[in-house]
Amino acid sequence: MSFIKRAALYCFRQRFKTMILFLVLVLTATFLLTGIAIRDAAKDATTNVQTAVGGKIELNLDTEGHMGSGQQNEWGTVYEYNGDLITEDIVKAIAKVDGVVDYNSEDTASYYGAGVDFKYLPAALGLSYTQYGEASSYTATLSSEKCSKFQSGKYKLVSGRHIMPEDKHVCLISKELAEYNKLSVGKNIKMYSLDADAISEFEIVGIFDGTEGTSENAMTVDEIPANCGYIDCATLFETFKDVLYGYEQLTIYVEDPVSIQNVYDKISALPELKGKTLKLTINTDEYDVISTPLVSLQKLVSKTMIMIFVVSVIILTLFLTIWIRGRKKEIGIMLSIGRSKANIILQIFTETFIVAVISFAVSIPFSFCVAEKIGTFLLSQVRSGAVHLNVQINALYLLPLYFIGILLIAAAVIASSWMIVRTKPKDILTQYA
Amino acid sequence: MSIMKICNVKYSYDGNRAILDDITAEFNAGKIYAILGPSGCGKTTLLSLLGGLDSPSDGAVLFQGEDIEKKGLAWHRKNNVAFIFQNYNLIDYMTPLENVALTSKEPPLPVLERLGLTREEMKRNVLKLSGGQQQRVAIARALASDASVILADEPTGNLDEDTASSIVSILKECAHEMNKCVIVVTHSNDIAKQADVIMGLRKGKLNRGF
Repeated sequence: MSFIKRAALYCFRQRFKTMILFLVLVLTATFLLTGIAIRDAAKDATTNVQTAVGGKIELNLDTEGHMGSGQQNEWGTVYEYNGDLITEDIVKAIAKVDGVVDYNSEDTASYYGAGVDFKYLPAALGLSYTQYGEASSYTATLSSEKCSKFQSGKYKLVSGRHIMPEDKHVCLISKELAEYNKLSVGKNIKMYSLDADAISEFEIVGIFDGTEGTSENAMTVDEIPANCGYIDCATLFETFKDVLYGYEQLTIYVEDPVSIQNVYDKISALPELKGKTLKLTINTDEYDVISTPLVSLQKLVSKTMIMIFVVSVIILTLFLTIWIRGRKKEIGIMLSIGRSKANIILQIFTETFIVAVISFAVSIPFSFCVAEKIGTFLLSQVRSGAVHLNVQINALYLLPLYFIGILLIAAAVIASSWMIVRTKPKDILTQYA
Repeated sequence: MSIMKICNVKYSYDGNRAILDDITAEFNAGKIYAILGPSGCGKTTLLSLLGGLDSPSDGAVLFQGEDIEKKGLAWHRKNNVAFIFQNYNLIDYMTPLENVALTSKEPPLPVLERLGLTREEMKRNVLKLSGGQQQRVAIARALASDASVILADEPTGNLDEDTASSIVSILKECAHEMNKCVIVVTHSNDIAKQADVIMGLRKGKLNRGF
């Protein structure tokens, strides 16, 4: 009788012991399967984040050593940047580089405008340093959609459209400011710039929300987010045509985040940038913020899986050791009829394997129930509220599960079979004589 | 030519007290041997050495002139010898048919029938059989293995007189009709009287014609 037939007979006839082993293996497989599913979900989420966030290269002014010696005025010493700006020629050259898919400039607080025909939400101080009252700050941008607050989801366009590169004399204002002044998309507003001593007219092309509840304790109007909006770059250049001939910041979007270094090298080598006081850097901040918790989760799950594996081996080894000790007589008989020790260990391995095959299949629905919950819990432990894990139990996971399971069983059987290896058949049989 | 031979075999547990002291003996096919002796004299140890369950401290055990260690003790146990124990030593989760199939390459039914088990009894769990029936299954397993030597350790120790008698008859049949070498370790003089050769083991020495 072969060891396979003996193993099958044992599993079928010793149902109580088989059931206990079955439960131990179902539990082990459920944890392993859950671990595999969560790890894969975290991996997929990381890839998705990488694709969604993409790669960004930042071109900024290199202010170090280019801020002049300072000029005295009534406010104190004023330092002014005297280096190069990002001109249209540079932008056009960058746009032609292979791998560059888009670019944007987001120049925060580059324009201060006082409302000529509208009013800002009031602040505590109620300053009035222009003839049209207090001014609030605006971000000049080529594409407002790509601005950080819209990208992060803090601001959301609720009406109209975003500012686009070809726009001129357009603006985005907050929903709060629009309601305060009964303004809507399509209407024009006028703003006075004290710096340029000029009035500019802007068409409201979009209204955004996300500023609500953030205006408490503001001393000046520009400290109230609802008063701060977005304008196009062209109008900014027009307003300050004598002093401003280029962008102060440019974000370059790369098609494939993996090849970002290659694109960076190509841009660095552009003749338009040679000798310019500009600084080029790879920006992975956004990707890092989102992906770090996922990477931490992957590490946590991998460590947990190793722990589960080790604990499972220990539990299974203890279980099999007790099981084997209870089968000393049988082992002695097998040895007396000429079965080798390897043959007997193979029988025990096969018995465990038969039960494991069924247990692992049964663990799928159990894993399905717990995987999502455990994944969400683990994700909360690594502090990532921004990412959702799509934990799915796939039938393909059975392959790694069976692979890990066989290793686990083999390790446990080898460890627990020590008694068989070192015992003389005569010693076993004389105990039962 | 003898089928089994022990040559100058010594055996001691702790290296000092010799259980078996320079024993030499020959065993032939077609004969039943009875080894008698008081408890603890080393009868079971001698049987273990003959069956390859243990190795002597000194000397050699030969099967058909070849040291059994040469091909390995497991090989010797599988191919040359078969054991019958006092406590039957059957696999308790198997039926008689399955127990016999452990050693048999042929279908186990005829050998069990020959030893008087009904077909219904053959399919029961062995623990649900009487002591005599269990010993018959153990003998059937030994016979089915096709081994030339049957080593029986107190085969009737747990059986009543009538059953013991029938078991002895079967063992004699194995020796005389099936040309097997049957070596029986026993306390029983009744069994010994039916053996072809009686050997006595005392103080580590084996004497023939005891």
